[in-house]
Amino acid sequence: MAKSVLVIGGGPAGLGAAKALGSLGIPTVLVEKEDKLGGRPVIEDYHTLIPRKMKPDQVIGPFVSDVQNNPNVDVKLGTEVEAIEGEAPNFKVKLSNGDTVEASAIVVATGFQHFDPKRKGELGYGIYPDVITNLELEQMFSREGKLYRPSNGELPKRVAFVFCVGSRDRQLGVTNVHCCRYGCALSGLQGTEIREHYPEVDVFCYYMDVRTYGTWEYPFYWEPQEKHGVRYVRGRIAEITYSPSDGRLRVKHEDTIVQRPSEVPMDLVVLVLGMEPSEGTKKIAKMLGLAQDPDSLFLVPAEEAASNITSNKAGVFIAGACKGPIDIESSIAEGEAAGAEAAAFIGAKVTA
Amino acid sequence: MAIHERSLVEPERVLRKERLVIDGVDVSGDWNLVILPRVIEDYDLDFLDEVLKQPEGKTILQCYQCSYCTASCPVHNYWDERYNPRHFIYLARLGLIDELQKRADVIWRCVSCHKCTHRCPKGVLVEETLKAILKVMSKKGLIEEYPSKKFDTFFLEAVFEHGRIEDGELLFGWIEKQGYQVFKDPILKKPIPFLGGTPEWLKQLAVKPIKSMNIDFLILNAKHMLFHPKTKNWNKFKQVLRKVFDEEGVSLAH
Ligand SMILES: Cc1cc2nc3c(=O)[nH]c(=O)nc-3n(C[C@H](O)[C@H](O)[C@H](O)COP(=O)(O)OP(=O)(O)OC[C@H]3O[C@@H](n4cnc5c(N)ncnc54)[C@H](O)[C@@H]3O)c2cc1C
Ligand code: SF4
Ligand code: SF4
Ligand code: SF4
Repeated sequence: MAKSVLVIGGGPAGLGAAKALGSLGIPTVLVEKEDKLGGRPVIEDYHTLIPRKMKPDQVIGPFVSDVQNNPNVDVKLGTEVEAIEGEAPNFKVKLSNGDTVEASAIVVATGFQHFDPKRKGELGYGIYPDVITNLELEQMFSREGKLYRPSNGELPKRVAFVFCVGSRDRQLGVTNVHCCRYGCALSGLQGTEIREHYPEVDVFCYYMDVRTYGTWEYPFYWEPQEKHGVRYVRGRIAEITYSPSDGRLRVKHEDTIVQRPSEVPMDLVVLVLGMEPSEGTKKIAKMLGLAQDPDSLFLVPAEEAASNITSNKAGVFIAGACKGPIDIESSIAEGEAAGAEAAAFIGAKVTA
Repeated sequence: MAIHERSLVEPERVLRKERLVIDGVDVSGDWNLVILPRVIEDYDLDFLDEVLKQPEGKTILQCYQCSYCTASCPVHNYWDERYNPRHFIYLARLGLIDELQKRADVIWRCVSCHKCTHRCPKGVLVEETLKAILKVMSKKGLIEEYPSKKFDTFFLEAVFEHGRIEDGELLFGWIEKQGYQVFKDPILKKPIPFLGGTPEWLKQLAVKPIKSMNIDFLILNAKHMLFHPKTKNWNKFKQVLRKVFDEEGVSLAH
């Protein structure tokens, strides 16, 4: 039997890997536990993606159809990995559908999950209907095509974004001390979309730092502010309350520039969620004995490796958000690189 | 109720009533004192819109609060820390009016050196933006006509008349405008500030530069004060300028 590669996870990173492997002519098995390929952005209906302002179907869609149409790639939806035995290049993998796969190398692309905002009780999520997550805002746009306050269906006069919810926060323990990397930029884009469609709605971003790193600085920080009038206020929201007298929320914080406490009225409050390793990532790490960050439990590359897709286990490559917060394009690129590395590992050669 | 550490509470936040009745109960004398909280309860978002409407205020949204401007500003560095161009921009953007008003005594103190504008890494026209903020404040009646505006008007009037300013006349004229008795020579009615009832420091202010002035320059200045040369074709320019002033609602004494 020809040597084959197993890719675990069908999100942007796993798709990048499967596409690269398939186009190199290597027999590939892609295992995805949901019944759809595309990862969080597709499964959860993100609306518009940073940084190109395109839809998930436009960005990830071509990878999905490429992988599905490539005869070298065997896509197994609704399937999970149950057990992995042996070492490279002779992994024996038991799947939840009863199949066994013999793989010479493995690409792990099991991704992340969203922070559960109920863990920050003071922010009122699950108590006040008008406190929503940024994921729910994406879905409001993509599924319902309009902006409204869940409490009464009306257009909010003011929307507040609360940065860093479930990120950079030792109160949650050591597990969530990292920065989510996408949150500031996505809020800039969501704020812009609100202002473009509803110029009468005022948008506020409450921040400690604005981390729109690299080339994202202008399109996702300064355009929202200079061109679209999104307002940035410095201070971390410490509590969200509700005032029955006017039916509006209050965001409590100290404006650290003015050095005064503030309790300003808002109609819709959007929590910008952090990223945690998915259950799948934690499970596979155990099965394969992959190194994890002791605090966050994200996968970490081998210490001696210069490339961050090389794991501590021979023949196992790691790509995308299973290693920590990352954007879609980088996840795809890491997947492609992991695919190529896996191909090199099993000794595939280009033949004329 | 007594406040034990009264020094900790700004006087404007302490409300005391001679008679206070709450829910029909007379609480005068005991519970008649209220301390207002420091909490910001809302923004005045209209303020920023007004600033953005001013031609000088268009760059206010570009600021990222780095404080390059304030670090460079002579007024902040050598005079009063409460004069802080970066901070004024922040307050104006959120419409924190009471905070701006707290600084009404210093906010007009810009000496227009333009260090801030030249150095701002975000391309904010800082000096201009501050003028726009002042303009909106006085338009909305949030600040009394600020003293520097009087000088600006005086300066503008001098330019408007002749197309140029005479340093000497501007200085002496301004001193006179401040209400100081300035001695004038009886024939040409020109002010001679080092005679008469002018205070000593003002006399020094006038005498010192004259003493150290190059003689040709001194004669030139004196000649200009006597004959008032105008900029070439000034009368035509003046007509245009008048039109612009009329359109923008600028009023001068002339
Ligand atoms: C609200 C929000 C908005 C975002 N918006 C953007 C944006 O606009 N632009 C951008 O670049 N990035 C954005 N991101 C980041 C983006 O979601 C990630 O970069 C990207 O999803 C990472 O891709 P991935 O393939 O590594 O992981 P995932 O998308 O998490 O995909 C992992 C896949 O693996 C599957 N899986 C997990 N465990 C197993 C298992 N044991 N067996 C089989 N399958 C398994 C999962 O079902 C999933 O399909 C956003 C993130 C959030 C939270
Ligand atoms: S990207 Fe922005 S919102 Fe997300 S954790 Fe970092 S600073 Fe906070
Ligand atoms: S230098 Fe420019 S960007 Fe920096 S605080 Fe001043 S106005 Fe703002
Ligand atoms: S122009 Fe005004 S605000 Fe700017 S540096 Fe000079 S004095 Fe300060």
